[in-house]
Amino acid sequence: MGDLGQILVGGVTTGSLYALFLLGVLIVFQVSKSINFAYGQVGMIAAFSAWFLYSEQGLPVPVALVVGVLLAVAVNSAIDYVAIRRIPAGRPGLDLVVTLGIFLLITAVMQQLIDANAHTFVPLGADTRTEVAGVVVSVNDGVVVGLTAVVIAAAYLLLNRTSLGTSLRASAEDAGIAQAAGVNVRALRTATWAVAGALGAIVAVLVASRLSVDAFYMTPFLIKAFVAGMIGGLDRFWLPLSVAVALGVYESLAVFWLGASAGTPAVFLLIIVVLALVPKRFVNERNEVRA
Amino acid sequence: MSASVETGAPPVVRIDGLTVRYGAFHALRDVTVSLPAGRISGLIGPNGAGKTTLLNAISGFTPIAEGRVHVGDRDITALGVRRRALAGVVRGFQTVRLLERESVWDNVLIGTERFAQPSALSQFFALPAQWRAHRRATAAAAEVLDLLGLRRHAHRRVDELPFASRRLVEVARVLVSSPSVILLDEPAAGLDQEGRQELAAVLTRVHDNHPSTMVVVEHDVDLVKTLCSYVIALDSGAFLCDGTPAKVFGDRQVQLAYFGRAAGVDA
Amino acid sequence: MTSAILRRPRGEAGNATGERKQGPRRLLTRVAVFAVIAAVPPLLFDDYWVFMSAQVLAFAIATLGLDVLYGRTGQMSLAHASFMGVGAYTTYLVSSLGYGLAVQLAAVAVVSLIAALVVAVPTLRLSGLRLALVTLAFGELLAWVVRNTTDLTGGTQGASVDPLIIGQLDSSEPLHAYLIALVPAAIATALAAHLGRTQLGRRMLAVRDTELAAESVGVAVSRTKITAFLISAVYAGVAGWLYAAITGFISPPDFDLFASVYLFVAVVIGGAGTVVGAWLGAAYVVLVPELFTLAGQPNLYPIVGGALLAIVALLVPDGIVGLGRGAWRRARRVRDAQEGAT
Repeated sequence: MGDLGQILVGGVTTGSLYALFLLGVLIVFQVSKSINFAYGQVGMIAAFSAWFLYSEQGLPVPVALVVGVLLAVAVNSAIDYVAIRRIPAGRPGLDLVVTLGIFLLITAVMQQLIDANAHTFVPLGADTRTEVAGVVVSVNDGVVVGLTAVVIAAAYLLLNRTSLGTSLRASAEDAGIAQAAGVNVRALRTATWAVAGALGAIVAVLVASRLSVDAFYMTPFLIKAFVAGMIGGLDRFWLPLSVAVALGVYESLAVFWLGASAGTPAVFLLIIVVLALVPKRFVNERNEVRA
Repeated sequence: MSASVETGAPPVVRIDGLTVRYGAFHALRDVTVSLPAGRISGLIGPNGAGKTTLLNAISGFTPIAEGRVHVGDRDITALGVRRRALAGVVRGFQTVRLLERESVWDNVLIGTERFAQPSALSQFFALPAQWRAHRRATAAAAEVLDLLGLRRHAHRRVDELPFASRRLVEVARVLVSSPSVILLDEPAAGLDQEGRQELAAVLTRVHDNHPSTMVVVEHDVDLVKTLCSYVIALDSGAFLCDGTPAKVFGDRQVQLAYFGRAAGVDA
Repeated sequence: MTSAILRRPRGEAGNATGERKQGPRRLLTRVAVFAVIAAVPPLLFDDYWVFMSAQVLAFAIATLGLDVLYGRTGQMSLAHASFMGVGAYTTYLVSSLGYGLAVQLAAVAVVSLIAALVVAVPTLRLSGLRLALVTLAFGELLAWVVRNTTDLTGGTQGASVDPLIIGQLDSSEPLHAYLIALVPAAIATALAAHLGRTQLGRRMLAVRDTELAAESVGVAVSRTKITAFLISAVYAGVAGWLYAAITGFISPPDFDLFASVYLFVAVVIGGAGTVVGAWLGAAYVVLVPELFTLAGQPNLYPIVGGALLAIVALLVPDGIVGLGRGAWRRARRVRDAQEGAT
């Protein structure tokens, strides 16, 4: 195996994190037809406030983490409850603008409340490594890949094999009809935002444990997840998630072959080329309702 | 941009073996019909008959499973919405689709896209070609606004107008470029009796001034009789019959399909 | 036939002529108002505020460009400041080679156009959502390029730009910089205002409001979006050129995602889709952070900006300009009612 194996493991792990994060984007998009630009910052709230609580306020780490995740859930639900719900019909694209404002607001508030510096986060097993078939793997890697697989499988089963999933898909398909059939569409929507908030928070905590935490670290991550969603299609399930994992591997390979700084341009090049080549009908979404 | 504004006599529109499917549902099944050249045809049929689908198929808004659409000698089946519009096939929508925050004037002027357009650079930098195009477009818009009695509202935002006026703006956007084939989807929907009569008068006048092959989807039998010299009846996605209003409204099948249901009498 | 269909809406005097009178008087009034406002900073302000006013001029070009894209065409770019950066760094490179005004401007226009084509052509034949996401990545790319070309661009440390010399004018003098910036700002404003009277401008509005109706009359939707993006990118490039000349120093944070978001805030607050709104936005984006700094609370600016963006976008769709128009209309309605006209 050797170097390439190591790169692949790193890529799959990063890609799994993209996929898990993207799952939150997908369920929100499919049920509410909305994009949340502040999503990365919602995750950042969880990790950054957890860091603040255990490191500066002396709370036990598990308690701090739970409080952080709950905060993220509350904030993401509030975004839907306070803002997204109030977007009048017939103004598509306003979700982007409004959540962009929230993105800025969250970043600035967290910077004001805590600080603008980067801090090391609890490693959560990132420093406990073993060697498997010549490749160094950390406990954190295992947790990331395992958790991603379990959560995605659970989400799939939930969406396709339960009555809750049927309600969700009905609301996504046609909110009016679902409402008439007795589904509380609004509550269901806010609930998906809450679940997405939890997902984003977990991913953000894991990312922080592997890198470090500050008010900005989730933005490049958010961009990558969006890129995967855009290439795979936000109205699908398996394809975008697979693209997310593949994107992680692609990025690692680019870094491996072209040098440490090659990740960003390689990803940009990928989107431009893919969007230029893919047939239009394959990647179109959110069209105006036909006559 | 090569927008051709066609001259000469309006063309006949021939629809051969047209089938439109949405999944397993046949919105139209093997419909063959001709829209006579230079006349106002009424397209009638109960809800779900496929009237709007037929307009969508002629204007390019819906993919066709089978069949061909000819305008005059030209087969337009493979053309997209935009190419058909530039070729002279322009439609209005049942749901009014306007630039809500803009003036009546701009809403009508957007319809002049079919006129020869100067390049984007000429337009942006206000070169002489832009002035000429501007004069031509504004003259056409002023004419259609006069015809429809909208002139005095030209500078109001359309979202401030009463519904009936908004409907007229939708029609004006279609008429302003004098298309050779005009497709109107329930232009009188939501108007009161007086408004309907006036709309019919306006459309007749427009048609006298600029002969075209016009199709109007309409439920109101009286209005169809006033406005149209030809009628096509559809039912459940199939062609039922066509001919003069007297012939079609006298047809037993049409009466069953259309009036039977409309009057609540089941055959 | 007007009586029944066209029941006259309340409180509006009908305009009997077809086209709104856009005669020489109206144009002259506008030019006069512009000239009077433009004369204020050099006559009344000290050097520092003249310098800030010159920046407002540069940013006005940027917000006018973003307004063409977002306000009129409804497409969202999260890299507008990055396109300013493209202009600014192109200026830096070209001026450090010793070239002057003409070459600088030509280079800025060409590089902005190429960058915009790369971003817009693949994405805008698809949906606007994709444009927003790809521009996000483009901003990252620019930051990466600057970071990784320290020899050429100064990297994260930034770079000093040579002042622009035009005849007797030297852009390192605030008053001169202001005068230099006035010309392109006036031209950009005139062209943006005129755009509203062209079919190109109407296509953009149609694409924003209803792509179906646009297509139904023959508008090329993707081409219109791409044209709007190109115009906005060149505006941003020229704004970056002026910004580099006026401030004499550029660094990556001037052109990062947050800078792009602030520009967005500016356009939305000012009033998307209007020239005046873009100018108000430019004043906001330059002067408000300065006021917060003077008040000793520089950290409040992003917080206020974020909150304003969300609130204004949701509740005041036409921004300050919309509020002003609404007030004017209400006032007129009251007057009309008093005069017994309905």
